[in-house]
Amino acid sequence: MNASLDKGVRVLKEMIDAPIASYFASCVHCGLCAEACLFYTETGDPKYTPIHKLAPMRRLYEQEYTLLGRLKKWLGISPPVTDSELGAWQELVYNSCTLCGRCSAVCPVGNDIVYMVRKFREGMAVAGHAPAGVIEATRRTIDLGSPMGVKLHAVKAQMKHVEEETGIAVPLDVEGAEYMVQLSSMEIINFPEYLSAVARIMQQAGKTWTLCSTGFEATNAGIQIGVSDLARTIVMRIVEGAERLKVKTVISPECGHAYTAIRWEGPNLIGRPFTFRVQHIVEVLDEFRAQGLLKTQGMETDRLTFHDPCQLARRGGVIEPQRNLMRMVAKHFVELPEAGLMNWCCGGGGGVSANEEADALRLTAFKRKQSQLEAVHPDRLVTACAVCRTTIEEGLEHYQMKLPVIGLTELIAAHLTAPAAGGPEGG
Amino acid sequence: MSIHNDSEFKAALERLAPDRQRQVAARFARRVADLSQDVRVKTAIEAASRGGVSEAELEVLHQAANSARVESFTRCGMEADWSDQTGHFVAKAAMACVRPTAAAGNLAWDTAMHARMARTCQTITEGTGTGNRETEAQYRLLEDFLNQGVRT
Amino acid sequence: MTDIQLLTWARGQGLDLAVAAFLFAVFWRLIEIYSLGRKQDLAAPRLVAGASGWHTVLRRSLPPAGMLKRSPVSYFGGYLFHLGLAMVVLLFAPHIKLIESLTGVSWPGLPSQFIDLATVVTLAALVVVLVDRMTKPVKRYLSTSGDWLAWLVTFLPVLTGWLAVRHLLLPYPTMLTVHILSAELLLVMLPFTKLFHAFTTFGSRWYNGTVNGHKGVAI
Repeated sequence: MNASLDKGVRVLKEMIDAPIASYFASCVHCGLCAEACLFYTETGDPKYTPIHKLAPMRRLYEQEYTLLGRLKKWLGISPPVTDSELGAWQELVYNSCTLCGRCSAVCPVGNDIVYMVRKFREGMAVAGHAPAGVIEATRRTIDLGSPMGVKLHAVKAQMKHVEEETGIAVPLDVEGAEYMVQLSSMEIINFPEYLSAVARIMQQAGKTWTLCSTGFEATNAGIQIGVSDLARTIVMRIVEGAERLKVKTVISPECGHAYTAIRWEGPNLIGRPFTFRVQHIVEVLDEFRAQGLLKTQGMETDRLTFHDPCQLARRGGVIEPQRNLMRMVAKHFVELPEAGLMNWCCGGGGGVSANEEADALRLTAFKRKQSQLEAVHPDRLVTACAVCRTTIEEGLEHYQMKLPVIGLTELIAAHLTAPAAGGPEGG
Repeated sequence: MSIHNDSEFKAALERLAPDRQRQVAARFARRVADLSQDVRVKTAIEAASRGGVSEAELEVLHQAANSARVESFTRCGMEADWSDQTGHFVAKAAMACVRPTAAAGNLAWDTAMHARMARTCQTITEGTGTGNRETEAQYRLLEDFLNQGVRT
Repeated sequence: MTDIQLLTWARGQGLDLAVAAFLFAVFWRLIEIYSLGRKQDLAAPRLVAGASGWHTVLRRSLPPAGMLKRSPVSYFGGYLFHLGLAMVVLLFAPHIKLIESLTGVSWPGLPSQFIDLATVVTLAALVVVLVDRMTKPVKRYLSTSGDWLAWLVTFLPVLTGWLAVRHLLLPYPTMLTVHILSAELLLVMLPFTKLFHAFTTFGSRWYNGTVNGHKGVAI
């Protein structure tokens, strides 16, 4: 047994708790989880069955925590988990799973399979069996402050761009601001229109806000690859920033896993509840809407539909707010089949879109999203996650489907009524 | 006329007719065209500069530039490649200047914005930071363009 | 040992041993599983009506949106044989008498023709799900010897019970002995096979519902 495998196995054993034991005991091999997983439905390959992705963990559990399992191991009937076995499982655990959670929503005996995959990744990463490119994200986060190597000067560049575009100054490190706005690297790099939209919305709502120079990064690669230490470091920077600046609410941007990381895993990673609120930008916008702070004019007249990011809706609990916001600005809002809680994943989350080895599989799996869209034939697609956006656009491009994709925050901002205060925006 | 700030810049662009917007947009895009290696992007910018492009051609050029844009997306979690990003924004600038007339909007302003982002990505790549003179250069470009228009 | 001696043993000592082993094993397995505990969730909860462990315990018995058409046999076959088993075990007069002798509790049963029909439907459903397991790619891929064994120890008591009541195949006392022994085998094996889901499904659904309910997701 080599050192990494040893460590990996030890981590896996620590991961196992009563829920996991209950889940393994309950599984009746009905295979319904496969019918809910786009990696199986679009490939027809049973190896992508969600519960099968956990086979080594199951054996480890039985051998460690059950009398019968220990007996079988002693008799040589149950072989120990090996390094090559974990190596063989890397594809199943990282390439064919986005942590979308649909499997957990359908298992008849109630197994929370995605919960188990998330924990299995912890052991896999320590044993050295996580995708190489994303493992590098750990180094970059520690060394550079961002998993993607996006440093403060890039943020400042975007701030300048936004100030030019909107005429609104973007606040940085303002103590006592009500909201602290996080940015995912994807937004800083690919979608600067997000920050512009936020600036304009905050101005109209009359809310104070700020970016944080030491804790701006929302992207949490640690959550994706399953390295809690890394995930904790990223969350801690945000927490320190939020507490130093004494903000009331931290806003998680248009990203799925970033929200899961800070809202639901954050306090558990750092071992204490937060002293501030955490909301996804969609929740914030809906709250403004409900309070009458969001004044919009005009409606989009083409046929719009909405793609629910898995980590926001099914895994995050934000399902109605986006619909309220869509109805504010869309005359013809149509729902995808199985929208909301049971929406199908875009196929790019959980580190899959960053994993070049998974490209072919991801594009095959995209056919599920394609059929959902074809059932409704929208003119444009709206969503609230930067990775969903790029994944969907790449999929559409691959299948030669012409369908513009836009962000919800951007869409709302485009309909804001002009600022009440007169005079031209400063240049 | 002279341009001193973005309010004036944006307003002046908005006042232009779509075909005139496209011409000045092409000039903004041409300034950053060399930052992209993609032939689809360069073709779109050249076509917009030439002028007299039919709607059908615009459609094709727009689609091609869109493919270039999508292909240059960053992968979430991977190391940011700023030179790739430069190309991404040049593609967006190219798309804006060949945007079909029906959806034109203020395409010249959009082109200018994307061109500035491309320039910023370039200077980040070169390590010279985020300050650059793209904005001023665009103001001068627009001034020249408007003055030419007045004369002819 | 004569037929009658074996039958007497099966009904008497055999039953005592099987029930004792069953109870002990169930107790042991439940402790083995649930004593592992779980960490408290420190994230601020989102309270949403209908999103809780208890709701999921009940709700998960229904197919989620879009799933029924993807695997109708899994759902219909599953409902039929589970309900059938419950009816036959709990609403057949001789079984109720047995439970009364062990616990003192009893309740009215169903007429034997209904039970006969329920038994036939249960047997048919069990065969259908077996064929499904053998022919559907995912089920076949996942299946181990444990799955075939679990099917067999579930099927046998139902089949042998039905044969005994109808006085088929073997002389009644012998058939009855076989039935009782097969039921005792099921009892002894249940806690150590996937059949233990009879007990852990409630815990699993509850945990799933609780973790998701914390986030306001009515899963």
